[in-house]
Amino acid sequence: MSRTRFIFTSAFAIILFVGLSACRDKHEGPAFKPTPYPFEIPFAFPNKLNIPTDNPLTVEGVALGRYLFYDGRLSGRTHADSLMSCSSCHIQSNNFEAGIDHPVFQGGYVHGLSGKQTTHVVLPLVNLVWNSSGYGWNGFIFTNNPITGQRSIEDIVRISVMAEDEMMGDTTRVKALFQQTTGYPALFQAAFGSSNITFRNIERAIAQFVRTLVSADSRFDQYLRGEIQLNQGELNGYVLFTTEEGADCFHCHGGGGNPLFTTHLFYNNGKDTVFDQDIADRYHITGDPMHKGAYKAPTLRNISRGGPFMHDGRFKTLDEVIDFYSHQVRLSPQVDPLMHHVLKGGVQLTDQEKSDLKAFILSLQDNNFLNNPAYGRPEKFPDQ
Amino acid sequence: MAKKQVLWFLVALGIGLTACNDNQKESPATGSITIHIRHTVDGNPLITDSLMYTNEAGNHYLINEIQWFISDISLVADDGSNIALDADNSAYYVDTDIPESMRIQAGMPVPAGHYKGIAFTFGLDEANNISNRFVNPPESFMFWPEYLGGGYHYMKLNGKWINEDGLKAPFNFHLGTGQIYAGSDRDILFDFGASSQYLHCEGFHPPQNLSPVVAFVPNYFRVNLTGTDASLIDGGNLELIIEMQVENWFRTPNTYDHNVWGGSIMQQQDALKSASENGHDVFIVKPLN
Repeated sequence: MSRTRFIFTSAFAIILFVGLSACRDKHEGPAFKPTPYPFEIPFAFPNKLNIPTDNPLTVEGVALGRYLFYDGRLSGRTHADSLMSCSSCHIQSNNFEAGIDHPVFQGGYVHGLSGKQTTHVVLPLVNLVWNSSGYGWNGFIFTNNPITGQRSIEDIVRISVMAEDEMMGDTTRVKALFQQTTGYPALFQAAFGSSNITFRNIERAIAQFVRTLVSADSRFDQYLRGEIQLNQGELNGYVLFTTEEGADCFHCHGGGGNPLFTTHLFYNNGKDTVFDQDIADRYHITGDPMHKGAYKAPTLRNISRGGPFMHDGRFKTLDEVIDFYSHQVRLSPQVDPLMHHVLKGGVQLTDQEKSDLKAFILSLQDNNFLNNPAYGRPEKFPDQ
Repeated sequence: MAKKQVLWFLVALGIGLTACNDNQKESPATGSITIHIRHTVDGNPLITDSLMYTNEAGNHYLINEIQWFISDISLVADDGSNIALDADNSAYYVDTDIPESMRIQAGMPVPAGHYKGIAFTFGLDEANNISNRFVNPPESFMFWPEYLGGGYHYMKLNGKWINEDGLKAPFNFHLGTGQIYAGSDRDILFDFGASSQYLHCEGFHPPQNLSPVVAFVPNYFRVNLTGTDASLIDGGNLELIIEMQVENWFRTPNTYDHNVWGGSIMQQQDALKSASENGHDVFIVKPLN
């Protein structure tokens, strides 16, 4: 190789390298590295989490999601009468349900900005990061849903914003509103690497926050961890809860071996014998006639703070629910085989047993969850 | 000089090839095993939710679902030795509603050879049946309450039968650890009371319709099936079918009558024992054709 040719070749290589490096710097900008959210698995809880690979939990994403969860401008409106967000119906102190003492929705029956009531009452937003069996009373949101827009908590956010019986919003308007709200673009930049707000990133942020809502520190949890002893009534209730000849709750609602206190699965629990009015039961998802009248078994954690109970909110108190399972269960072709006490009308608890069972269920109340400031309404929003 | 180099090269090549051959000789011939689980009633594939079956006692019945554990699977060689297919304390969950659960790919390589049979545990033995060993669904949904002995259901077979009143009554044919209650005149077979996994039972005072539990009775059983007559070649995959013949749970030696035992048996050791004894001829093995 001649000296001239060597010099020319070297110079070309250097120019090319410098040029490419400059080009890369110009287009990629500073490296985007959100902070992984430190998620801890509570004792005896599942270690498999339902977190989409394209939306991992990050500190920045969760913080943004918390703002959006509580910001009434999620409806896409700014007038005081038109503000609505997830927190309008999901009240932390009410187990992220509406609750029968809701200040706006009397009796816990919620309606959207249009005034239209929701088909079912509100389900709690508790420990959903462990739900892989479908969201909603009939499980219409599920991972492998052929309807691609109904697969995840992210999709629920969009559905809730747009639904007539909820926020009745417009996604374009919502993202434009947050784009022009001081503070939000920077939070999106920190969470997702772009200050250009997309509705997809709004969905992702709220879903991240919802997945961090973990209830795992009730008296029963402390008992399971060996930290405290339950009182006699609670222990008696625990025996009733987990025995077939007692109250027989555990097959659907868990126990020490399933501390979620739900299977997240769907059962016809014998409330009715005719299902003509069940316009959105499990049957409407699966098409299986045996699933008529079947609905999700919700978690019993913090259940006394929620309500009204059952998919249609027919029971206002926990006592009414216990009375139902004790004496009012009804036989139909669709009643779940696990309701094997149905021919007796229920599990036939005495007054004392009802009291003990209720004491145990109340031991599932997690005050640290209901009052956790990390889950609560922010003291101020980004533009304040 | 060149000749010397060629010579050294040939020597090195020879050593290398020899070493390679030695390594090959040391590698045992192995293959893998795939087990397909099937559920049948009266010789036909199980059809769920259809009132089309009649058991030995004459009960007309349907099956809604079957969920169960198979554990400690091993092949039985012609010389009678057992070759474990997985590490100790392995267990697989099978669910008629989860097709992928009915195909078991054993975890460890199996020596090539001829095998005359297969053995496994129906359910979970004491070493396997430890509370909270399964924290994830669906296995965790099989937990067996602490007060009733802890651990897991060996099986949930849920269905309905036409009872003596002509009503379609639910039954939960749930097998697992049985209990001996205070006041019963039964012999105590096993006392797990001192076992750490049952510490949660301390302090329990059962409600008035329950007597205190004084002992627990494991009801799992070992299944030994011969007749596989199967050969596994080096690098091959042997595929076997383990078939649960559901009707035999209710047949011999005990005629199991739902009208006698009712819809729930987790707290009826006599029913659990009867079902467990009937398990002796529930399973068959055959090669996948």
